[in-house]
Amino acid sequence: MKIWTSEHVFEHPWETVVQAAWRKYPNPHNPTVVGLDVIDRHVDKQGRLVSHRLMCTEWGLPMWVQKLVGVDRACYASEHSVVDRKRKTFVLRTNNVTFSNLVAINEQLTYSPHPTDKKSTLLKQEAIITVHGMRLSSYLEQLVVNTCSSKATQGRVAMEWVIGKINTEVKDLAKGVKGIKHNLENIATKAENLESPL
Amino acid sequence: MNSVGEDCNDLKREYDACFNKWFTERYLKGDYYRDPCKKIFKKYQTCVKTAMKNKHLDLEEMDKDILGTEFEKKPLPKKKKETDKTES
Repeated sequence: MKIWTSEHVFEHPWETVVQAAWRKYPNPHNPTVVGLDVIDRHVDKQGRLVSHRLMCTEWGLPMWVQKLVGVDRACYASEHSVVDRKRKTFVLRTNNVTFSNLVAINEQLTYSPHPTDKKSTLLKQEAIITVHGMRLSSYLEQLVVNTCSSKATQGRVAMEWVIGKINTEVKDLAKGVKGIKHNLENIATKAENLESPL
Repeated sequence: MNSVGEDCNDLKREYDACFNKWFTERYLKGDYYRDPCKKIFKKYQTCVKTAMKNKHLDLEEMDKDILGTEFEKKPLPKKKKETDKTES
């Protein structure tokens, strides 16, 4: 069994990061996620948003590893998540569905406000990888850990890309509102001039 | 982003757009008692669950622990053609 952990700080408020997390796919940095569906979603009695998603992905493991496993099929993962808007936490837990009789990859991501900088968000990631019943299991576990690590880096780049998109949308919206306000002020000024001609 | 079921792509996109708007403009501001996405979600769900059935993806099986149990190392079911129809 191998455990991999990592922390990252996004220099954006928690609300922005959580929105970006929902809008993460598709993005040019994570082409391996090829399908994503919401299987269940509801707000519970504590006001927390509870979701269950099914992800279809290509793991990006080398072809020889895929051949070693001996199965040619799309890879699915199951993700359960909870957004608690009062506590400002977003916790996601993912586990693989495909190959689950050979390998278990259990990953947990937690987004929360940075403890000392409220304008930033802390992401904690943890993955527990277990490979059974195959030769070179320890080597394969390390390979999966390395894959998780590089995918985590890609994931963070992807998040920054999505956050950039959201911030642009907000700026464009603000610009649009400013434009409308300016036009309305012009109209009001013209109307005043008409009412009190020289 | 595509759905797991190719026929569900349009429903998925419509639902995702509704959800993202609701999440930003309502949920995060504490206004989550009404769900404007309920109708589209129901249609989308029906489509996805049919697609999952056709791909032999079982919701209950999905989150079961396999390693360390009697199911570990058992051969995976043979890949069936996605065009196989489920029995009614």
